[in-house]
Amino acid sequence: MADVDAARRELEAALGPDAVIADPLGRRLYARDASMVEGGCALVALPTTAEQVQACVRAAATYGLPVVPRGSGTGLAGGATPIGDSLVVATARMTRIVEVRPEDRLAWVEPGVPNLDLANHLRTRGWTFAPDPSSQQTSSIGGNVNTNAGGPHCLAYGVTSAHVLAVDMVMADGSLERFGAEGPEAPGYDLRGVIVGSEGTLGVVTRVCVRILPVPPAVRTMLFGFDSVDACAATVSAIIAGGVVPAALEMMDRGIVRAVENFAHAGYPVDAAAVLLVEVDGTEAGVTEQTRRVEEAAADHGVSSVRIAADETERAGLWKGRKSAFGAIAQIAPHYHLHDCVVPRTKLVEVMRGVYAIAEHHGLIVTNVFHAGDGNLHPLFSFDRSVPGTLERVLRASDEVVRLCVDAGGALSGEHGIGLEKRDFMPLVFTDEDLEAQACLRSSFDPDGRMNPRKVLPDGARCGEFAVAAAGSGVAAADAADLPEGSWI
Amino acid sequence: MDLIHPRTAADVADALREASTSGRRVLVVGGRRHIDKGNPSGVDAELWTTQLDGVVAYEPAEMLTVVQAGMRCDALGAMLAEHGQEWPADAPPEATVGGVIASGSSSARRMRVGPLRDTVVEMEFVTGDGRLVRSGARTVKNVTGYDLHRLAAGSLGTLGVITQVALKVRPLPERRLTLTAPGDLPLATAIASEVTLAAGVVATTDAVEVRLEGWAGEVDELAAAVTRLAPASTPEDLPSFPRAPWWTWPGDATIAEVAVAPSRLVGVVSATTTYAALAGVGLAWVVAANEDELGELRRRAERAGGIAPVVRGPGGLGSADVRGADVLRRLKRSFDPAHVLAPGRSLADLPQTR
Ligand SMILES: Cc1cc2nc3c(=O)[nH]c(=O)nc-3n(C[C@H](O)[C@H](O)[C@H](O)COP(=O)(O)OP(=O)(O)OC[C@H]3O[C@@H](n4cnc5c(N)ncnc54)[C@H](O)[C@@H]3O)c2cc1C
Ligand SMILES: Cc1cc2nc3c(=O)[nH]c(=O)nc-3n(C[C@H](O)[C@H](O)[C@H](O)COP(=O)(O)OP(=O)(O)OC[C@H]3O[C@@H](n4cnc5c(N)ncnc54)[C@H](O)[C@@H]3O)c2cc1C
Repeated sequence: MADVDAARRELEAALGPDAVIADPLGRRLYARDASMVEGGCALVALPTTAEQVQACVRAAATYGLPVVPRGSGTGLAGGATPIGDSLVVATARMTRIVEVRPEDRLAWVEPGVPNLDLANHLRTRGWTFAPDPSSQQTSSIGGNVNTNAGGPHCLAYGVTSAHVLAVDMVMADGSLERFGAEGPEAPGYDLRGVIVGSEGTLGVVTRVCVRILPVPPAVRTMLFGFDSVDACAATVSAIIAGGVVPAALEMMDRGIVRAVENFAHAGYPVDAAAVLLVEVDGTEAGVTEQTRRVEEAAADHGVSSVRIAADETERAGLWKGRKSAFGAIAQIAPHYHLHDCVVPRTKLVEVMRGVYAIAEHHGLIVTNVFHAGDGNLHPLFSFDRSVPGTLERVLRASDEVVRLCVDAGGALSGEHGIGLEKRDFMPLVFTDEDLEAQACLRSSFDPDGRMNPRKVLPDGARCGEFAVAAAGSGVAAADAADLPEGSWI
Repeated sequence: MDLIHPRTAADVADALREASTSGRRVLVVGGRRHIDKGNPSGVDAELWTTQLDGVVAYEPAEMLTVVQAGMRCDALGAMLAEHGQEWPADAPPEATVGGVIASGSSSARRMRVGPLRDTVVEMEFVTGDGRLVRSGARTVKNVTGYDLHRLAAGSLGTLGVITQVALKVRPLPERRLTLTAPGDLPLATAIASEVTLAAGVVATTDAVEVRLEGWAGEVDELAAAVTRLAPASTPEDLPSFPRAPWWTWPGDATIAEVAVAPSRLVGVVSATTTYAALAGVGLAWVVAANEDELGELRRRAERAGGIAPVVRGPGGLGSADVRGADVLRRLKRSFDPAHVLAPGRSLADLPQTR
């Protein structure tokens, strides 16, 4: 049984009273992330140092509270949504950029640093941090690491994992360990690589060593309009099959383009069925060659409009449309459900058709803005929750989208993760043996199931080697009934 | 020494189940080019992946291929080159895909192509007790569950036998060029930090070799930048980089692989005689003539916050600070409970130096 009061007293002593939130109203702010899943917690702690995080994890263990690590709460899978009598450890006050070392192409940062703050800090010095999720203004580096976040510029440069050299992490037993190194990989299991994308289930990351890259000497941004979604999607494959891997390759369909134009006036072609935003970078000559090839691929697929940014202002204008997409969708309907799945990019045409058919069948509005170059779809259902039956239809449609992507040889999530929302889909793509092995990995870090229990793995998955269940032992018996609405049981 | 010669993943599973029951200790062998690393000992049987060498899928437009782990690097290279693509391993021809991944090797061109472990997107492997497990997916991007395949990269065959992998491949560059100039590691370091789009900059005792790759015009621009820093450089179109890879060094002297933060490399290797250092990356291969030299090298590497495991000859992995030793032990226990894989080199058995 969790002793919340005792935990609160100990935390207040260790962190100071203003760093512990126990009142119901304050806690409510931490009851969910940006997904549709709402939960609740017993306490919230706002540590400022790794030692304070250790104190949090130890107090939670002593008094029987599971720990839910939290960054900025922009996650879309319910990973940071607390359940049961848990202690939320939020990194909002760990926001120092500790050091930037261009000579080693690295920077050390605390987990609460918003992605865009780091990017801006680096840019003034001629460097970049490649992962640029659309949520970058708000989402934290710690959250990016734990969801292995992607972004438009991850096509050529790789997702977050390729940009994390090392992490400091507070383990389930309260000890602090460093995984990875400032130098190239050491012999041994790549535990750093395992931690990236683990959705807060292996420990609390307290410091991150990120790889930084020099700002490329030249870049060119292009916007192509197409009369059909098929032609647009086929162009994506053609560009890549032709030997060009652009820095970014983003697709938006008519619904989203119109919303964006109303909102941001970026000068996108509103009559196009779909647009493709392409960016190439490198040296001047490299950029010229890639631009030529990209234009050729678009022409081969009957492109209807072409805009090439002539300068930095025009480039910013083209990106403005893409980046304001999520701000713009609020005009379509009060609520939205943003989906995330990934398919082989040669299947894009077929899967896009399937997505539209599913939306039509359920009478839902769907728009699409996504990382096409990665085959990473983001069908977005807009709806009004107050209309009876709508949420159910959205969930049914989303379920069908997941199955469509899996049938096309895809995975459950390209970048948002599994969290609570998709954990019960895991058996669609993994066997019992696969899931048991994953549970063993998790238990190796957290034998007692204290860290973010019941996320990622379905309740049944456990490691035979350990007496304790991997998922779920930190909270009461594994009973589906006490999971919050929207977790797609 | 017994020999196990599986033809399918199921054969591997049978063999390991048997080994776990009987206690027979098994060493996985690919091309045997990196087998010294971690110095295995007390081996009862070798499991050769030679016959697990098939191509499962290759879709050039997807830039993804699925192959069995025993496939030789030269065969894979030839298949991909037909479609203008490559898997950027740059390993010896007889090395196997599984061996390269399990030994944690990377290309000397990694400034441009990245660490090799990031190319592995899906994996099938057999655990020490004979369970066939898969993780990842055949997509370029994926956050679906735990990346078990990350454990296998660098695992030196201690957790399981890799039977099949899906690999991200990349387009072959339109043009490649090697520039060689008289010089030393400081010059190489200057080139690596100025010409950030270079693929690799290697310094040996008296020469610097720079590898450039990309679109034809791009390579010309980069070459001009290199020549400004190293006016005496000679351009050549060489297939391999570096010209004399460390695994071809003659003799059987011990070779250690130094890994430190890039800027610290100068302090670690400048005192040694025979070395090849990857500027801007922080890796160097250094000949250690005797135990004293190895010890001294390791002390310098440690002072620089790095490590120097031996990759050829005796000497083990060194006193690398083992992080999360409890985690490693539990991993070993759950993936190889009977402790039959790669005896003598279990990373989980390393002393904790903290
Ligand atoms: C409008 C919008 C656009 C988005 N666009 C993208 C996109 O382009 N690409 C993309 O990848 N995602 C995108 N996302 C999803 C989300 O922003 C990312 O998943 C992001 O990485 C989450 O960061 P966060 O700080 O908000 O983490 P949170 O939501 O707080 O947490 C996410 C997960 O990480 C864990 N976690 C957080 N911090 C730590 C820590 N310090 N230690 C251990 N575990 C931790 C949590 O437990 C949770 O499981 C978008 C979301 C929104 C709302
Ligand atoms: C001094 C030196 C430096 C080198 N540096 C580099 C370099 O920088 N980059 C590079 O690419 N190559 C380098 N190599 C070459 C390197 O040997 C190969 O990249 C690769 O490790 C050899 O593959 P292999 O098939 O010969 O593996 P093997 O030597 O047969 O095996 C290597 C290790 O992997 C394990 N293993 C093999 N197959 C499997 C499997 N299927 N599943 C699980 N474990 C397995 C083995 O048990 C062993 O521990 C170097 C070699 C030497 C001698």
